[in-house]
Amino acid sequence: MIDPSLTQSFLAAAAELGMCSAAWLLVRELAAEGGAAQVATIRDYLGREFPVLDAVCARYLAGQLAPVVDPAPVVAACADAARVLVVGLEADFLDALVPALDAEVGLLTHSELDVDWDRVLANYGGRVVPCDLASFQRFAGSRGALVTFLYGVRASSAHVNPTWLRVIAGDVRAQFRTLIGWDVLGSEMFVYPRWLVQAPLADFSHVVP
Amino acid sequence: MTSAALLTTAILIVALGGQAVWPRFRLTIVTAGAGAACLVTSLTGAASTRQLLAAVPWDVLIMLIALGLLSELLVASRLFGALALASTRRSGAAPLRLLVMSSVGMYLVSGLVNNLTAILFVLPVLLRLYQLLGVTQRYLSWSLGVLLVACNLGGAATPIGDFPAILLLGSGRMGFVDYLVAAAPPTAAALAVVLVITVVVVRPTRDLEDSPLRRRMTLAVMQALYRRVTLERRLLVPAAAAMVAMIVAWVTVPPTRVGPELICWLGVGAALATAPRTAERLLRTRIEVDAALFLLALFVMVGAVSRAGTFAALATWLTQLPVSPMAQLAIFLVFAGVLTGLFSAGPSMAGLLEVAQLLARDMSPTAVYVGLALSVCAGSSLFLTAATSGPMAQIMTEKAGITDRHGAPLEFSFFRFAPVGLVAFVVIQTIGLAYALAVAAAA
Repeated sequence: MIDPSLTQSFLAAAAELGMCSAAWLLVRELAAEGGAAQVATIRDYLGREFPVLDAVCARYLAGQLAPVVDPAPVVAACADAARVLVVGLEADFLDALVPALDAEVGLLTHSELDVDWDRVLANYGGRVVPCDLASFQRFAGSRGALVTFLYGVRASSAHVNPTWLRVIAGDVRAQFRTLIGWDVLGSEMFVYPRWLVQAPLADFSHVVP
Repeated sequence: MTSAALLTTAILIVALGGQAVWPRFRLTIVTAGAGAACLVTSLTGAASTRQLLAAVPWDVLIMLIALGLLSELLVASRLFGALALASTRRSGAAPLRLLVMSSVGMYLVSGLVNNLTAILFVLPVLLRLYQLLGVTQRYLSWSLGVLLVACNLGGAATPIGDFPAILLLGSGRMGFVDYLVAAAPPTAAALAVVLVITVVVVRPTRDLEDSPLRRRMTLAVMQALYRRVTLERRLLVPAAAAMVAMIVAWVTVPPTRVGPELICWLGVGAALATAPRTAERLLRTRIEVDAALFLLALFVMVGAVSRAGTFAALATWLTQLPVSPMAQLAIFLVFAGVLTGLFSAGPSMAGLLEVAQLLARDMSPTAVYVGLALSVCAGSSLFLTAATSGPMAQIMTEKAGITDRHGAPLEFSFFRFAPVGLVAFVVIQTIGLAYALAVAAAA
C-alpha cells in the first residue's frame, strides 16, 4: 500500500538531489522493500505528478537497475573551459562530473523548490562555488562553459530545469563558448513534464547522451 | 513610593508589555523606554544617565556575545547537521525515538551553546525529516514543543547555557560549579518527566501509522543529502578545545583574580584566532547586535527602577507578608514563572534578580537563585511567545509547508504549542519549587 504523502517526501528529496537522482533513489529503496511490484505501484501513484519518476520507473521495469552516469563526454566538451557553471541539480551526475573537471565549477543557486544550498555545496568540499542569477556572467567568456541536465530528449527539443530559461537569453548564448546539455534520463517521458520546461536542442553547442 | 519609583516602574511595565504585544517593534519600544527612564531619574535626581550606564553589567553582555560567536564557529564547522544526521541514523527514523533523541540532544547542546543558534540550524533538518516521514499534526506539535522545552531546560542546566544563568555567573552571584551542580539535576529530572508524560500519556505517534518503507526512505534520503558532508575539523577542534579550556578555567581560577567574562573573552578570542577569515566574517556579520541592544536597554530600565527603590520596596513587601519565609520564597518563584511567561526570560530575570538578591540575604542563595532560574525556565516554556526560539520555530515551520499523510497542511502555532507549554510549565515550576524549598529547608 503506497502512502499518499510520498508526494511530499519525493519533492523534499528532489529539491536537493534532483528529479532524476531522487527518482532512482526512491526506485532503489522501493525495489529493495517490495520488488518490481512496488515500483509499478509507485509509478501508477506518482508518475502523473512526477514524469521523471515515471520514466525512471519505466526504465527500471524494463530491466535497467541503475542510472547510467558517464561524465567523460561532458568532460571532453569542457576540455578548453576554465570556468564551468552548472544550471540545475542532479546529485548522481554532478558527483561524478565535478572530480573529473579541471576547471572552476560553479552551481547556480536558484530553484523553484526549497533547497538548503549550504548543505548541497557542503557535499563537494569547497570544489563547487555558489553563484546567483545576478552574478553568473562571471563564468562567461571564451573559456566559460554552461552545463545543464536534459530530460526526455527528442529530435529537436528536450526538457530542462526552469532556471535554464532564466539564464539562456539570446545575448547570454553569445557570451559562453560552450553550452552543454547532458541527457540524464536516457529516454522520453510518457506524460507531460510538470516541474520542467521545454528548450530547443539548437540552444546547445553539445548534447551529451 | 516616590514619584521616581512610580514613573520608572510604569515605564518598565509599559515597555515590557509593549514589546510582548508588538514584538516587531520591541527594540524601538525598549530603547525608547530606557531613554524615558533615564530622563525620569535624571530629572528627579535619583540617578544620572552616566550612573545608570555605569551600572550596566557589561561583563554579562560580553559573555553573551562571546558565547554566541563560539556557537557560530560550531555552526560553521557543520556540527549541528552532523548531529541531526547521527540522531536520524541512531533512531532508525522511528518517529518516537527521533522525538526523544532530538530532545535529549538539544538539551545537551543548549547547555553549551546559544540555544537560538542551535535551533536555527537543527530545525531545518528536523523539518525536512518530518516532510520525509509524513508526520501528523499531533506529532509535529508535541515533537517541536518538547524540543523547545528541552532547549530551555538545557539553557538553564549550565551557567553558560542561556541569559538567566549567564547573568548569575557573570554577576558573581554563583560560581560555575555551584550552579552546575545545583541546576543540572533538577533540569534533567524535569526533561525526563516531560518526556515520560509525552511518550506514555500523550503518545504523539498514536495516529501515525508506522511504515517501514517510509523509515527506509527517510534514512536513504538523509544519507544522500549528507553523502559527502564532513565536519570542518579546523573550526571544530579549536572551538571544542576553547570550550573545554574555558570550563576548566571557570572551575579552577578564582573569579576574584580573573573573572568569568575575561575567561570567556580570551577563550573565544583564541578559538577565533585559529581561523582568522572565518573569525572576521563572524565578527562583522554574526554578532547579535539587536539582542545586545535589547538587553542593554533592559538593564538601563531595570537600573533606573532599582535606583528609584522599587525593587527594595517589593522585597520588603514580600518579606513582610504574614507567611513563613518558605511560603514567601514559593510566592516569589511562582510570580517569576508567570511573569516570564508574559514578558519572556530576559526582562524577568533582569528585574527579579534584584529582588532575589535581597531575599538571598536571609535564605540560602542557591535556593533563591537556582529556584529563580528554574522558574524563569518554566515561564519561558509556558507560551510559544515567551522565548525567542518559539516564534522563530513557528515561522520556519510555516515556511517548510509540511503536510500530513493526507495532504492537510500542518502548523506550529501559539495554540498548538499551548498544551505542551502548560505541561512543561507545571512540571518545571513544580520541580523548581520543590528543589528550592528543599535546599532552603536544609540550609
